Amino acid sequence: MTQEIILSVKNLKTYYEIKQGMFKPNKVIKAVDDVSFDVYKGETLALVGESGCGKSTIGRTILNLTQATSGEVLFNDKDLTTLNFNEMRSLRHRLQMIFQDPYASLNPKKTILQIVMEPLKVHDKYKPQERLQKIIEILEIVGLSEYHLERYPHEFSGGQRQRIGIARAVILHPDFIVADEPVSALDVSVQSQVINLMLDVQKQLGLTYLFISHDLSVVQHMTDRVAVMYLGRIVEIATTEELFDNPKHPYTKALLSAVPISHPQEKSNRILLTGDVPSPANPPTGCTFHPRCEFATELCQQQSPSATHFSASHQVHCHLYQEGANELCY
Amino acid sequence: METVLTVKDLNIQFTKDGEVTKPIRGVTFHVNKSEILGIVGESGCGKSVTTKAVMGLLPKKSSQITQGEILLGEQRIDQLSDKEMQHIRGNTISMIFQEPMTSLNPVFTIGQQLSEPLKRHQKMPKKERRTTIINALRSVGIPRADEIIDEYPHQLSGGMRQRVMITLALLCNPDILIADEPTTALDVTIQAQILRLLKALRQEREMSIVMITHDLGVVAELCDRVIVMYAGNVVEEALINDLFDEPLHPYTQGLIRSLPNNNERKSRLYSIEGNVPKVTEQMLGCAFANRCEFATEKCVNSAPPTVVNGNHKVRCWLLTEDGVMA
Repeated sequence: MTQEIILSVKNLKTYYEIKQGMFKPNKVIKAVDDVSFDVYKGETLALVGESGCGKSTIGRTILNLTQATSGEVLFNDKDLTTLNFNEMRSLRHRLQMIFQDPYASLNPKKTILQIVMEPLKVHDKYKPQERLQKIIEILEIVGLSEYHLERYPHEFSGGQRQRIGIARAVILHPDFIVADEPVSALDVSVQSQVINLMLDVQKQLGLTYLFISHDLSVVQHMTDRVAVMYLGRIVEIATTEELFDNPKHPYTKALLSAVPISHPQEKSNRILLTGDVPSPANPPTGCTFHPRCEFATELCQQQSPSATHFSASHQVHCHLYQEGANELCY
Repeated sequence: METVLTVKDLNIQFTKDGEVTKPIRGVTFHVNKSEILGIVGESGCGKSVTTKAVMGLLPKKSSQITQGEILLGEQRIDQLSDKEMQHIRGNTISMIFQEPMTSLNPVFTIGQQLSEPLKRHQKMPKKERRTTIINALRSVGIPRADEIIDEYPHQLSGGMRQRVMITLALLCNPDILIADEPTTALDVTIQAQILRLLKALRQEREMSIVMITHDLGVVAELCDRVIVMYAGNVVEEALINDLFDEPLHPYTQGLIRSLPNNNERKSRLYSIEGNVPKVTEQMLGCAFANRCEFATEKCVNSAPPTVVNGNHKVRCWLLTEDGVMA
């Protein structure tokens, strides 16, 4: 299956420096450490992982909201990390973002009309007299109406605000949207409405999503491929069905088994991880997962594992599956 | 079965700037000894207000229990004075809050914060306190407990802080533990650890736990019995298997059907249309009527009765004799 690659991330590194004081060297936090993946046109790629694993940083680095330390983000044969402010801005109409917190991401002093109008003005899209019509059209797509135009964000519920956030992101007809935990702040009954909306909009406008989430049941439902992250690195990437049916990396297995059951009679074979995620300021040597991994060997402590390919779409970074090693039996 | 906590027809109203809102309208439930009761509902349905009323933590100035009673065993606790309530709080009933980051005091060490209930309720001497606290920290699975007792909250991770909160709630061996969304702020792997801990604690100490959550997965995993709340009312009460196998209230049915696991992959999720009504809205009939696909005129105009069938209680017109469930 050959698919068109819309965005390609190569060896991306984003480090944050923390000042320790005038005479001490700065501490470096490797939020994203050597991550590479491709995103195909029209698909939904999920980035999953626990808090602090760098999934949001990847989203922000792709959109150049955070400066990358090294590596490339190729979009349309252009490396986004090298663009200056104006060049990036002119590309933003094709790359948009939906934020996690619908309460913090809308300006409380602007009406919905102003909020959704802003991207059109900035990018000088459509004739001024056409714009209102376009806004009403997009509001109808996301399930709001003309009647809401003159209202302020505080008059809306969480789910409605997230619809406004989506309207603002899709009004420029972008190709690629980074959705950073778009439904995790919402209630269960509203969450399903917003997921449906995102699926509908994707179909209608042919969007590609990078879907950042920690909710694995949502990820299983609506994404095509999943990349699992741990401490700034991708440990496993595969198509969604493959990953949920046949996870390979010990961390992926533990993460999937930690998801609460959906029926009280369901039995879960839970692999309980001990301890917490180590601090990214001081990551373990070798494979960063080895202190919590029950299969860790000496090699895991010393060397960071390279990728093993199970199929064209399924890659794992783990020493247990290196060429020559026997397949593990669980 | 022994009942440790009973809430009967509780009504609470808030007054702010002369405006009256009624977030709780006739909530009734009970908690049995050593059972885990789940309270499920969306934000604003009144689950936190109900438990705050039980703990006597509602703001005295702006809120008022207008009707109903709260019984701890046989004793009525909704009319106790602050002093009397302080005896019960942290001693017989304890609470764990949602945000472990904000509910610990950042300027005191773990040991200082944990010795407070022991000082207050048990008048324990200082030396004994330290060993008691270290043992209690160990019992919830905190490693290096003898070092952590002298550390500050910011030095601990989210999961560790929640364990410290649980220790704090358990120090005086309470009969009832109220857990208000204790795992919502935590990652799934840490959540699994905490849920297992709560289960183990119930078994060891024969404690009753009231688990407030919006996550049906957590309920399925942990609870024995569940009450479902919607807009200040209990709409359904059932044993855990009955609730998942045969939900009777349209709202509960909708919630369970809208879980991604119960829908085909990539298909449109089943969703309940519309939004939760605002607390300021006054309703004559069933609060769910405007979102319910089976709603009739009767539902809009008069409040539904509670239909009881063994352990299964539902507040809905559709289940009364002349109503027909689709």
